[in-house]
Amino acid sequence: SPAMELSPSHFPAARAAAVALGYLRYLRGGPGRGLELRELRRARRQDIDDVGHKYYLELELEDVLDKDRTVNCTAEVLYPLGSKSSAPDVQVALQGELRSTEEADKEFYDHIRSLEKELVAENIPDSHGKVPPELEPIHLLAWVASGYVIWQNSTENTKFHLAQVKHVKQVKRSDEDLQFDYVILLHEMVSQ
Amino acid sequence: HQVLRVVPQSDEELQKVQELQDLEHLQLDFWLAPRGLGLPIDIRVPFPSLQAVKVHLEAAGVSYSIMIEDVQALLDEEQTEMLRSSRQLALNTNTFNYEAYHTIDEIYNFIDLLVAENPNLVSKLEIGRSTEDRPLYVLKFSTGGTNRPAIWIDTGIHSREWVTQASGVWFAKKIVDDHANNEGVASILETMDIFLEIVTNPDGFAYTQTKNRLWRKTRSKHLFCVGVDPNRNWDAGFGEAGASANPCSETYHGPYANSEPEVKAIVDFVKSHGNIKAFISIHSYSQLLLYPYGYTETPAPDQEELHEISTKAVEALTSLYGTKYKYGSIITTIYRASGGSIDWAYNQGIKYSFTFELRDTGRYGFLLPAKQIVPTAEETWLALKVILEHARDNPY
Repeated sequence: SPAMELSPSHFPAARAAAVALGYLRYLRGGPGRGLELRELRRARRQDIDDVGHKYYLELELEDVLDKDRTVNCTAEVLYPLGSKSSAPDVQVALQGELRSTEEADKEFYDHIRSLEKELVAENIPDSHGKVPPELEPIHLLAWVASGYVIWQNSTENTKFHLAQVKHVKQVKRSDEDLQFDYVILLHEMVSQ
Repeated sequence: HQVLRVVPQSDEELQKVQELQDLEHLQLDFWLAPRGLGLPIDIRVPFPSLQAVKVHLEAAGVSYSIMIEDVQALLDEEQTEMLRSSRQLALNTNTFNYEAYHTIDEIYNFIDLLVAENPNLVSKLEIGRSTEDRPLYVLKFSTGGTNRPAIWIDTGIHSREWVTQASGVWFAKKIVDDHANNEGVASILETMDIFLEIVTNPDGFAYTQTKNRLWRKTRSKHLFCVGVDPNRNWDAGFGEAGASANPCSETYHGPYANSEPEVKAIVDFVKSHGNIKAFISIHSYSQLLLYPYGYTETPAPDQEELHEISTKAVEALTSLYGTKYKYGSIITTIYRASGGSIDWAYNQGIKYSFTFELRDTGRYGFLLPAKQIVPTAEETWLALKVILEHARDNPY
């Protein structure tokens, strides 16, 4: 059946956009890049027999570390029929370049490597919404991880957000990679 | 240092203690000096002198008790308590810090200050008690009359939505200031009263401060789990789709409608008042202005008018800082939700029933940075005024 126009102001479209954002954060996010949805510009839904519901989205994204500009993006989010245990299938196409994070990433990497003890932190942001500046990259890294979790666990009827990083612990490694274990709190949007 | 207490039972005992007073090198500090038989003598004894004093008393068979085992610890505790209570001591509502999140005690103190400073405009009503027996306070703003048509505003029904209680505090002060300067809502107060409940779920709020910042529900006890979603507990589509029957769920509707004293108190108040013309419940987050219904797809009979009001209210809100809001009925804009407060209010005949979802859209969510409290309250106030003015100009 043909695709139906949805109101981008209403949650059915916003739920699909949240999945696309989670996927994008997983793909392109990092300690030096935090992707946010500036605006959902357009949304359509198509019910495909025996397959599932497919959402066509036009998104305007921003990097919270580079708020003066935005990047447009199209996304397709397919929620498979029936199977609740299958993650939605997401395809995205960015129309333009995101600001390079090479320098920021290197700074983060060098900083963590220079620490005498493995990093440990909790409650990011704290109860009052504060994130200490030195923990902001760790915070944005959590967006990457939570982006993956949100993408993998979303259905057409859920809208997940990262509520808080409860705990993060750097894991000691013998090689030169950095590893962090996070405990994150996800909020499923039932608040009203 | 320890504080010892001696209660002399005989002249000999009294004399033995008085002997101690003469031993200057012991550096004793008598908090209660010897006065007579049967009257307590309290002595602060520095650590180096402890043994000597105890030996002196014990040798003479004078019994004593240790009143305070460790004076330093007590001093440390008192300092901490003072630091904590110096936070609470806003001496008036002009020195109160609106740009920070506050504890229940600080907010209840603010309420009392506001009433004390404006006795002819503001009064405090206790409309009930919470499950854990905390008072449920409503501020009444009135310039007189008898049972005037009135506006109801509640904040903090979901305890983790901290920007709402904080905004409620700001609204209270704003109403008072507007009245004093004869601007803004001063004209509304000429013919209408305003009722504002700032901490609508005090048990939950206390819990977010001490145990779990992200607690949403009340704290009533049920099988296996605690708390009822106070915005699924109202008698409007109660128990239908859009709420959960599972006590452990965040949207547990409760054993029956109005089971929660926090909800029942408002229901009783609104019904007995009988002249509420607008009912506004404030939540966060998502940046939305919503009107009934949530429990049914049937449009509210006044949908067109409510939509028009929403358009103007959101326009006013956005004009201040550019904050973008969406609006519409609950069920079409967000999702099906049953047992909600504004659906109940609307079905009671309160036409102008709205819900706000304040900042932000998810970046900080419930953990909105404190520096956004005042801008959020300021922009929301502009939208509230549109609703209030419409209610005033369109009596029914």
